[in-house]
Amino acid sequence: MQELLSIKYDVESGDFIRGGEASSSIKKLLQQLGIKADIIKRICVACYEAEMNIVIHSLGGYIEAKIFNNKIEIVAKDKGPGIENIDLAMKEGYSTAPEYAREMGFGGGMGLPNMKKSCDEFYIESKIGEYTEVRMVVYF
Amino acid sequence: MKEVFHSVSLIEEKCIGCTKCLMNCPVEAIRIKNGKAVIYDDKCIDCGECIRVCPYGAHVSKGITLNETAGYKVKVLIPSVTLYPQFGQEINPEEVNKALLSLGFDEVFDITFSCDVKAEILRKEIKKVEKPAISTLCPSIIRLIEKDFPSLNDHVVKMLTPIEISAVLIREKYCKMGYKENEIGIFFLTPCPSWITKIKELKYNEKIGFDGAIAISDIYPKLLKVLNKSSNKNYRKISKTGLLWAFSGGQSQAIGMDNFLAVDGIKNAIKLFNDVENGKIKDVDYVEAYACTRGCLGGLFLIENPFNAERIAKKIIANGEFSYKVELHDEFQSKFAREDILKINTKFADDFESAVKMIKNMNKIINMLPGTDCGLCGSPSCRAFAEDVVKGLASLVDCKFIKDGGE
Repeated sequence: MQELLSIKYDVESGDFIRGGEASSSIKKLLQQLGIKADIIKRICVACYEAEMNIVIHSLGGYIEAKIFNNKIEIVAKDKGPGIENIDLAMKEGYSTAPEYAREMGFGGGMGLPNMKKSCDEFYIESKIGEYTEVRMVVYF
Repeated sequence: MKEVFHSVSLIEEKCIGCTKCLMNCPVEAIRIKNGKAVIYDDKCIDCGECIRVCPYGAHVSKGITLNETAGYKVKVLIPSVTLYPQFGQEINPEEVNKALLSLGFDEVFDITFSCDVKAEILRKEIKKVEKPAISTLCPSIIRLIEKDFPSLNDHVVKMLTPIEISAVLIREKYCKMGYKENEIGIFFLTPCPSWITKIKELKYNEKIGFDGAIAISDIYPKLLKVLNKSSNKNYRKISKTGLLWAFSGGQSQAIGMDNFLAVDGIKNAIKLFNDVENGKIKDVDYVEAYACTRGCLGGLFLIENPFNAERIAKKIIANGEFSYKVELHDEFQSKFAREDILKINTKFADDFESAVKMIKNMNKIINMLPGTDCGLCGSPSCRAFAEDVVKGLASLVDCKFIKDGGE
C-alpha cells in the first residue's frame, strides 16, 4: 500500500505548554480528509499519549503521521533513556514518570496500555540509552 | 443534511475593510474581499465577536421588533434569566415580568420553571453520557462542537435547553386550551445573536416551534419606562435556583455538582475541547461551556457590565424564597430529549484522494508564505490563506510577501 501523505512534527522535551499541538494538528488534518469522528478520537487519544511520553520521558523527538488509502500510521520516535523492560511498561499502572510530571496529572502509568487499546496495531521498539519508537496503526 | 442558519450579517456600506473582525473571529470565518468583510457561512458559529469588535457598526444581528410579534391570537414571551440583573441594582424579578406583560403580551412565561425542570432531569442525563458530560445552553458552542469537535458527541447531554423546554410547555398548554398551532406566538427575549440564529432554525422544528427572538437591548428602553424598581425586593413566584442559569458555573450549582468546569469564551472552549478530545481531562464529571465572557450574562444584547450583572444576579438570588418542586415523570425525559448533534463536514473534498492532494498542495503553499499572519491578503492567517487557495477561494498573487518559488 502506497503512502499518500506524511507530515512530521517535532516534539520538544519538557515542553508541557506546547505538548499536544502535534495531536491537534493531526486531528485537523484527519477532519480535512473526511475521516469519521469516532476514528479520529481514537487516533487523538493514542497520539496525545505518545506525544506527552516524548515530552515527559525523552530528550526530544518527533511525531510523524503517515496517511495511506485505508489507514493512518503514527510514528513517535524519541532520543532518550529508552525503556528497560517493555513488558513491564505495558502494564497498567506502571510508571517511571518523574514526580513533577505526576503532580501535573501525567504519569499515571496508563500511557502505553491506553495507546495500545486505542489503535488497531501497536509496535514498540527501544534501545537503552538511545531511543524509543512507537508505531501505531488505525484503519479508517 | 439540515440547512444551517445564521443571524450575524454585514451592512456592506458601513464596512471599510479594516481587519478588526478578520483578526478577532475565533473560528476564522471572516475574509476581506474587495475591501469588504465576507462571512463564510460554513465556518461562522454566530458568536457575535465580529459585532463586538467592529468600530463601524457594520456587523449586525437583528431580532424581530415588538411590532413584528403581531398577528397571533395569543402571544407568549419567554424572557432570558439574564434580563433580571440588567437594571444596575437588585430589583424584584416579578416586577420585571409584570412590566414585560404590559408591553403587549398575553403571558410572560416563567423560564425559571424550565430551568428547575432541566436541572432535575440533567442530574440523571449526565450519567448517560461519556465523562466529562458537556452541557451547554449556548448554540454557538453547540455549533462549534458540530463543526470542529464532532467526536465529542458522546459527551454532549442529549437534552433541550430551558428555553426550548419553555416553548414545548407553552405550545402544549395553549393547544390543550383549543388554540390552533398558528394562533400561538412564542417569542424568546434573547441576550445574544447566537439565540437569534437558533430561534430562526427552531421556527421549522415541529416539536418546539418558536416564532421569533427579540433582542433584550431592543426592548430595554420601553421596559425601563414601565418598570417599578422600588417595590419589595423579595419574591415568591420565581425560582431562585432557576436564576442561577444566567452565569457561568450556575448550572452546576443548580444541580448540586461540585466536580465541574465552567469555561467561557470561544477560544477557551476550543482549548478545553481539544484537551477533552486528547483524553487529558479525566477526573471531571461535568463541563459547562459558553461563548461569552462569564456565560450568558456576557451576551451582546445585554446592558449591564457582565461582572456587575453577576454580582447583582447573586443578590437577587439571595432574596428568593423558593424553587419549584419538580416531580419527574418518565414522559418528561423523552419529551425534552434532544437529537444527536449534527456532524458538520469540514472535509476538503468528497473523495479521499482529492482531499489528500489538496492537503499536500496546501502544505507546499504554507512553506512559501511568510508566516507573519499579516492579514493583507484578506485571510486571517497564512495557514487559512493556503487553505483558501487550495479551495479556490483565494489566489496566490493575493499574498504580497510570497517567498521565492511562488508563481
